Amino acid sequence: MDLDALKANLKKDFKKIVSQEELNQFKVKYLGKKGQITELSKNIKNLSSKEKPTFGKKIGELRSLCEDFLGFAQEKIDLQIINEALEKDRIDVTLPGSYKSQGKLHPLTITTKKIADFFSSKGYLIEDGPEIESDYYNFDALNIPKDHPARDMHDTFYLENGNLLRTHTSPVQIRAIEKRGAPLKIICPGKVYRSDADKTHTPMFHQVEGLVISENVNFGHLKNEIMTFIDFFFGPDTRLRFRPSYFPFTEPSAEVDIMDKKSNNWLEIMGCGLVHPNVIDMAGLDSKKFSGFAFGMGIERMAKLLYGIEDMRSLFSNDLKFLSQ
Amino acid sequence: MKVLYSRITEAIKAKPKIENLCDDLTLIGIEVDEIKSFQGDKIIDFDLTPNRGDCFSVKGLARDYCAYKDKKFSSVKKISFKGENKFNKKIQLLARDGCSAYSAVSISNLKLKKKFPEYIKKTLKAAGIQSIHPLVDIVNFVMLESGQPMHVFDQDKIEGDIEVRFAKSREKIKIIGEKNLKLTKDCLVIADKRTPIAFAGISGGINHSVSKKTKSFLIESAFFNPSTIKGKARRYGFQTDASQRFERGVDFNLHEDALKEAILIIKEIFQADISKIETTKNKYFPKKKLISISLEDVNQKLGTNLKENTIKSILNRLEIKLIKKNKNNLSFEVPSHRFDLSIKEDLIEEVARIVGYDNLPQIKNDPISQHYEKSDYDFINRIKTFMTNKGFNEVINYSFLDRQALENLGLDNKSISLKNPLNNSLRTLRTSLLPSLAINLEFNINRGQNFLNIFEIGKSFSNDSHMEVLNLAGLVYDDEKFKNWNTDQNYDFYYLKGILENLFEEFRIDKISWKKSQNVLLHPFASADIFLKNKLIGSVGSINPRFLKLLGLNKEFLYFEIKVESLPKNDLGKLITPSIYPISQRDFSFEIDNKVSFEQIENCIHISSKDFLIGLQIFDVYDGKNIPDGKKSVAFRVSWGSNKKTLSEEEINKEANLIISGMQKKLSAILR
Repeated sequence: MDLDALKANLKKDFKKIVSQEELNQFKVKYLGKKGQITELSKNIKNLSSKEKPTFGKKIGELRSLCEDFLGFAQEKIDLQIINEALEKDRIDVTLPGSYKSQGKLHPLTITTKKIADFFSSKGYLIEDGPEIESDYYNFDALNIPKDHPARDMHDTFYLENGNLLRTHTSPVQIRAIEKRGAPLKIICPGKVYRSDADKTHTPMFHQVEGLVISENVNFGHLKNEIMTFIDFFFGPDTRLRFRPSYFPFTEPSAEVDIMDKKSNNWLEIMGCGLVHPNVIDMAGLDSKKFSGFAFGMGIERMAKLLYGIEDMRSLFSNDLKFLSQ
Repeated sequence: MKVLYSRITEAIKAKPKIENLCDDLTLIGIEVDEIKSFQGDKIIDFDLTPNRGDCFSVKGLARDYCAYKDKKFSSVKKISFKGENKFNKKIQLLARDGCSAYSAVSISNLKLKKKFPEYIKKTLKAAGIQSIHPLVDIVNFVMLESGQPMHVFDQDKIEGDIEVRFAKSREKIKIIGEKNLKLTKDCLVIADKRTPIAFAGISGGINHSVSKKTKSFLIESAFFNPSTIKGKARRYGFQTDASQRFERGVDFNLHEDALKEAILIIKEIFQADISKIETTKNKYFPKKKLISISLEDVNQKLGTNLKENTIKSILNRLEIKLIKKNKNNLSFEVPSHRFDLSIKEDLIEEVARIVGYDNLPQIKNDPISQHYEKSDYDFINRIKTFMTNKGFNEVINYSFLDRQALENLGLDNKSISLKNPLNNSLRTLRTSLLPSLAINLEFNINRGQNFLNIFEIGKSFSNDSHMEVLNLAGLVYDDEKFKNWNTDQNYDFYYLKGILENLFEEFRIDKISWKKSQNVLLHPFASADIFLKNKLIGSVGSINPRFLKLLGLNKEFLYFEIKVESLPKNDLGKLITPSIYPISQRDFSFEIDNKVSFEQIENCIHISSKDFLIGLQIFDVYDGKNIPDGKKSVAFRVSWGSNKKTLSEEEINKEANLIISGMQKKLSAILR
């Protein structure tokens, strides 16, 4: 067989290799002890010394071509084997992942957090206090003496042991002044209780109140704090207004409304004011030296606006279908 | 307070659109609750704050509105009236400042001259006041207009003279509306020589009230001190139009003028014999208050830059008159209808109200710059986030529930109940979170939920020195063994214990120990009490099945409750660099008595292999096939290491042999 015919066969056979077995046969056929290239190269000794180098070179080329072919084929077959193995690992990626349920925080916790995040970023400390309170901390210390008509605004739950359930988180403010003195900058989120139940009221609900006491605190500071908070909570294009109101513990007192874009109605969202000098004095500071502002809002109402909750009571039904949203 | 739109427009002598009127009133602090159509007119329902007694009338509203709009307002019509007949009774004011002025008039021989005017009937109806008797209707109408409550007595039933005094002990009165009241000594009464004829400023007595048969009338118009009237009606569980006004304060200069106004209307409608007005005052009759304020006071509190003249003119519009000026000190006189003004801040609010809150400046500098410091709030939030990451949904329950729910679980000991609950199901403060979470479970099962994991952080209450304790409680319920195609999660004691161990680890709380639970609510052999340095901080386990029926459930659930306050708030301490030498490990499997606890095994290993021991991990507990009765097989991996060297084979063999012999000697365990 001449060299050219051998080369042509080699190329033809190489193309046919699809398995390891065929590869091995190919190797034996050309490069084995009795392989065609091996056999052919034995002829070299019969050639003249003039022909020898040319023939030798050609055989060498043929051999290395064959080795290249073997290399290519081996690579191809290895890949093929891996691919076949991978194919067996095929999975259904649309099946759900191994189960690890993710729980949800209660909407009121998330709302409180959003409010607290704003105020803590401004350096307000977060205070807490007892839910069972005395008449003194819930009313007297807040300038609401016995028989004051303002006590009518608080439908108070009284306890058989003579105490009451706090009707607002304001007692925490008094306790904080007593504990920390001034200057003071706190918020106090927490549960409060009033004897009231309908679509917009639940007998237990949550409030966040804030208190800032220092020298020379004025109404302009209060306005700024509330306005930046509303921007943060409801978005910067929220219209708001301040209007006079009455709380025994602040003077002047204000109510803050925001404009509901859907209904085009003003919605009352929080109360605020400059701390009444009686409150400052009663808590043991000098109202001639210190002034302050306070504000308070119902968290349910804020959650209602944030999440479009219609019935306040759904916040306490603890229906998993509601909570796991 | 319900007021007709037409009455207000008449009083302000202008006719703004009702929306504009209501907006303006809202902006000066008079909140509008609702507007309703009524007989071709509108009823505006105002939600008055308790300080503004002066707005409890058409004229009061009009006066404030006109001050805001800078319109002239004529407050009182000066009516001249001189009765012909003598007033026959003596009036004695014996209650010091309780009642310091009392006017009265007697009327008899009443004959209708013309039809009783519709506008009075309509005004009363709009305000929700029942029509009783023409004279009563007229005084009520004048009350709605002017703010002065008056009372009409049947004069023939009054014996002798009239005295205004405090009730004697055990004195009683039956008031209009058939209520029998036992009065106390701080109750002010109007009395004749025998008995109280009215609960002063609150309600007339039924025995001296007018009827169709009444021939002779006595109309009372008095000034009662707000602090004497305050809270009295509420104490007996009711309120009247009069008590609401008197306890907020009725203009102390109004009683005679209002009475004249009533007489004028009576004379218009009736032919009648009307006596002279008898007015009695005592030395306690109030004087107008003075408040001193400086320009700085106002500007400092409001952050404004108002001029003295502006303040003077604003206050003047509110009838608060400057009467003395001493350098910077301005003395203002408070009009007799404003009971809510007594300190500087009150005047500052008046200025702010009229300037308009929205026109006051916003001041951007921070009055206190302070850095945030973490508190319990952050700790609690971290626990909440941890629990949600463990798959638990947060619930929030009312702090009160049905006492029965506590009794069922034997949790009613030392419970605190409300004196005035909304209803029985919200009567008693919870002493544990368990009943609340069990109620949530029942509710959700009934709504088709068959798997549930919930937690709550909330307070429980009891009648001892610490009345309230903050708890973290969790509940896991799995109806049929939890099914997921690729997970085989067992919701059992160890699942919950694992979560709590993670929690303690997250908050770097060690020195926790677990002991067989003494909590009667839990399974006696499959639950644990949790101790932190020997202090009980909570329990975990499955609910004792004997309580299931009482909870309305038919399958057990897992539960834990721990006291949040007893958890230390540990920060990350010093970090330790791990050893660079390799760790050696050996696995052991022992056959051991079934009653031997893992804790005993753990202690035994720690005592046996004192040197180099750094870890013990249990990976199998098995009893059943190939294990004799009363025994179990326990397999664990022990790790040793040193931060000074690589341990040699001999050293490790020595330690392993110490464990094997220790287990054998102390716990009769046999190496398998």
